Amino acid sequence: MTLEELILNCKKQDLKGQEELYKKFSGMLFSVCLKYSPNYHEAEDNLQDAFITIFNRIEQFKGKGSFEGWMKRVTVNTVLQKYRKQRVFNLSNEEQLEEEAVTEIEDNTVPLDFLLKIVQELPDRYRLVFTMYVLDDYAHKEISDIVGISVGTSKSNLARARGILKTKIEDYYKINKLK
Amino acid sequence: MKKNKNIDELFKERFKNFEATPSPDVWNKIQVKLKEKDDRKLIPLWFKLGGIAALLALVFTIGNSMLNTPLNKTNAPIVNENPIEINSEKVNNIIVDNHDVNQDETVSIEDNNELKSTDEVLVKKSSNSINKSHEVIAFETKVASNNKKSNISENSVQQDLIKNSEVIIKEKEGISNSNLLDKTNEQLINKGSKINKNVEAVAVNENVKDNSENPSITENKGVVKEENKKSIFDALNENPEEEVVIAKLDNTPDNRWEITPNVAPVYYNTLSEGSSVDPSFSDNPKNGDLNIAYGVKVSYNLNKRLSVRSGVSNVNLSYSTTGLDLGTGPIAASTISIEYAKKNNVTIVVDKGTLVNQNPDNPFGTIAPKSTNGETYLNQKISYYEMPVELNYAIINKKFGINVIGGFSTLLLGNNEVSVEAGDFSEVLGEASNLSSISFTTNVGIGFNYSFSKKLMFNIEPMFKYQLNPYTDSSVNFKPYYIGVYSGLSFKF
Repeated sequence: MTLEELILNCKKQDLKGQEELYKKFSGMLFSVCLKYSPNYHEAEDNLQDAFITIFNRIEQFKGKGSFEGWMKRVTVNTVLQKYRKQRVFNLSNEEQLEEEAVTEIEDNTVPLDFLLKIVQELPDRYRLVFTMYVLDDYAHKEISDIVGISVGTSKSNLARARGILKTKIEDYYKINKLK
Repeated sequence: MKKNKNIDELFKERFKNFEATPSPDVWNKIQVKLKEKDDRKLIPLWFKLGGIAALLALVFTIGNSMLNTPLNKTNAPIVNENPIEINSEKVNNIIVDNHDVNQDETVSIEDNNELKSTDEVLVKKSSNSINKSHEVIAFETKVASNNKKSNISENSVQQDLIKNSEVIIKEKEGISNSNLLDKTNEQLINKGSKINKNVEAVAVNENVKDNSENPSITENKGVVKEENKKSIFDALNENPEEEVVIAKLDNTPDNRWEITPNVAPVYYNTLSEGSSVDPSFSDNPKNGDLNIAYGVKVSYNLNKRLSVRSGVSNVNLSYSTTGLDLGTGPIAASTISIEYAKKNNVTIVVDKGTLVNQNPDNPFGTIAPKSTNGETYLNQKISYYEMPVELNYAIINKKFGINVIGGFSTLLLGNNEVSVEAGDFSEVLGEASNLSSISFTTNVGIGFNYSFSKKLMFNIEPMFKYQLNPYTDSSVNFKPYYIGVYSGLSFKF
């Protein structure tokens, strides 16, 4: 079955088609959810919500552009809706840009699981900004529009996220070198 | 190999081909949600039937208790019995199905689809029954599912643990199922906790499943079967949570308050033959008149179905008696319950024919007949300030709604006037002396409404109100009631 046929079946709300679509793309979209969610469990919840939205709005996909891109956008939007409202607590001097911390780190074999874990552990907005900017190549202007913050805040959040991640990676090295 | 690298590059590189497989459970939940769309359509029907059943139960209960034991019984427990019974039946159904499905476990994986169809039936059944059941249950299941979440997140990956918990699950299921089968007659709350047990078992199941997804564990047949079973329980588990949300959404009205200015034509009459003015007029023809009531009501919506309301309105009632003769005489010669405005010679109303045969030695003086042309009417006008307290239950609460209304009103006596009218002659005699300054009515009615928008609604409510103690003199055999067709616009806020 081609992707077009699959989409057509999904537009007819055919359960087999929907299952097929899920099987095909759940891996890709789950990775999106994992990067944007604070933990594995919420990532699963978000994936579920994203697919429900995809199935409900598949009519709106008119075949322009990539279907994968569309699904990814729907997924990111679904997740963002959930977390962008939750403010980061230490909002003092948010606009103030932190000095570019020395973010050079040793690239040993830091496990991917660990990297994912420390991204997930970031405060909601730091995580959203970091993932959007670094992992999904959004520009600060786009992030500011989508998340509803100023460009300055977006940049500052990114710098702080980097700082937190760097510290955690360094700690990881320390612990593992001691052993 | 050590190499200094920018944090961004490190993450970019490592996440470039990042892909992860969600648990099969996610698809099951999506399926349930997709099906729920269809199920949602069924809910209003259940509510409707439930509402009618509850109303009938209420009517029968009240009727029964009023006819048989007026004071000893309270209504509430009886009303509750029906839903409990329905509930226990449903719970049994689920359990029976559970057993079926458990037996199906021996079926090979190829029968997956068959099992799923059993799931569907099961999910529907459970959603209906749980939907019907008391909120206590729903709440507890929610708590249980919360536990489930925390269990999962704290979960560690150990194969040994899986085997252990498998055994535990089976034991737990056995216990909870047999418990439920054995004690169907127990109270609602007990049932709630049992369903809860079931859900707990599910929660444990979830743990196992979560473990089983870990790539380090090789999937064997046992694990797969376990997952099949889990999907059933998951569906079961998932539904109560969602139903609660739906139920809660359904129960919370959009707007709590409602204000309704209204106006009504009211028709006043009596259920008995007697006369309020004078016992001798009992057999005289009487006519209730059409008058106007107007006022404002304020409702507070307890939930989407039930609201309590009060307000204040002015009710004007009037009523006329015929078959009379008029005369004039000293106030003492008058027997009727009128407090005359004048103090000496007054217009006196008597039953037709009595003037001819009056005793000339009447110590109170004689009544001189008054020549009139046309029929004599004795008109009584009463105005009350009415303060109702009523419950309104919506049988249908769509754009077009039907409500059942019941309650009582307190009536404060306002103006009242007795006058006579005969041809060209008319005179205000005074006030009726035997009216209670405070009286009560019992009210029943049906309300029809049409919503123009979420904020604005048109109502029309035929109401029957029966007066309980309109007269200070209990010997007056006059049982007045009034019927009003109240119409008005409701503003919700």
